[in-house]
Amino acid sequence: MAELDRHLLAPARLKLTTMLTAVTEVEFAVLRDRLDVSDSVLSKHLATLADAGYVRSRKGTYEGRRTTWVALSPTGRKVLSNHVAVLREIINGVD
Amino acid sequence: METAGSHPTPDDAAAALLDAGSARDQLSQQLQLPSGFHTSIGVAVVVQIATLAVGVADQSSGGIGLAVAGLVPFVFVAVVQLVRFRRLNGVWVGGLASRVVFGGDAAASTVHLLAMGAAIWAAFEARWWLVGLCAIAGGVGYARAGVRWMRSYRGDPAAHSRGESVLLLVALAVLVIAGVVLLLAGAR
Repeated sequence: MAELDRHLLAPARLKLTTMLTAVTEVEFAVLRDRLDVSDSVLSKHLATLADAGYVRSRKGTYEGRRTTWVALSPTGRKVLSNHVAVLREIINGVD
Repeated sequence: METAGSHPTPDDAAAALLDAGSARDQLSQQLQLPSGFHTSIGVAVVVQIATLAVGVADQSSGGIGLAVAGLVPFVFVAVVQLVRFRRLNGVWVGGLASRVVFGGDAAASTVHLLAMGAAIWAAFEARWWLVGLCAIAGGVGYARAGVRWMRSYRGDPAAHSRGESVLLLVALAVLVIAGVVLLLAGAR
């Protein structure tokens, strides 16, 4: 059986990356509010995922202010897909 | 990819997947389209088809100019509505831009092409009422294809969120511009 990805074991990171599959990119505050976490917690999760190459962020503007836009990278999409497949195997009791 | 040494229990795995999936679904369900989104795009397509048909049938540089001018309201409406969507939701959905607005959806592009072909034929036959009818049918079909895509997106956001690559869109834009230049050159 394939292995779970260490970075996606934290439920908040799994949720974050799964949410990113629904969009091409999302503004930082929108993501923070959806996840119901603080700026610093989200920044920490994003930094971990960015270091792993799973998300990309860029500086931009939203509602007239400077902000960060976040997107799932192709690597992140692939890793998430594998991770979800392993979770499903666990749920189905596959060894 | 870094991997974990331990596995969650089936219950933990199910809970994590359920939570992540419902967060994704909520995000896609709650995205709002700007007011008059599909209607304005449909109307812009009606204008584009009608001006193209009349312009091509005119077979003069003025006619080609009319056909090209018909693209202006479409591009204007497309850009305005996409900017409004991004501002309203704080997200960008590539699939919405390429499939719904720029007609990359198979149903939208088929209806658009058929309506344009019929409208051009009708214009050459000087059946102006039929040009209008074809243009309206094309606009309505284009808008309805967009409504259908939104329904599909909300049902499976991960499968529909991505649009065509920027490279492909740029290549298509270059082809369209080259086609317009050739039409203008041929009309002179």
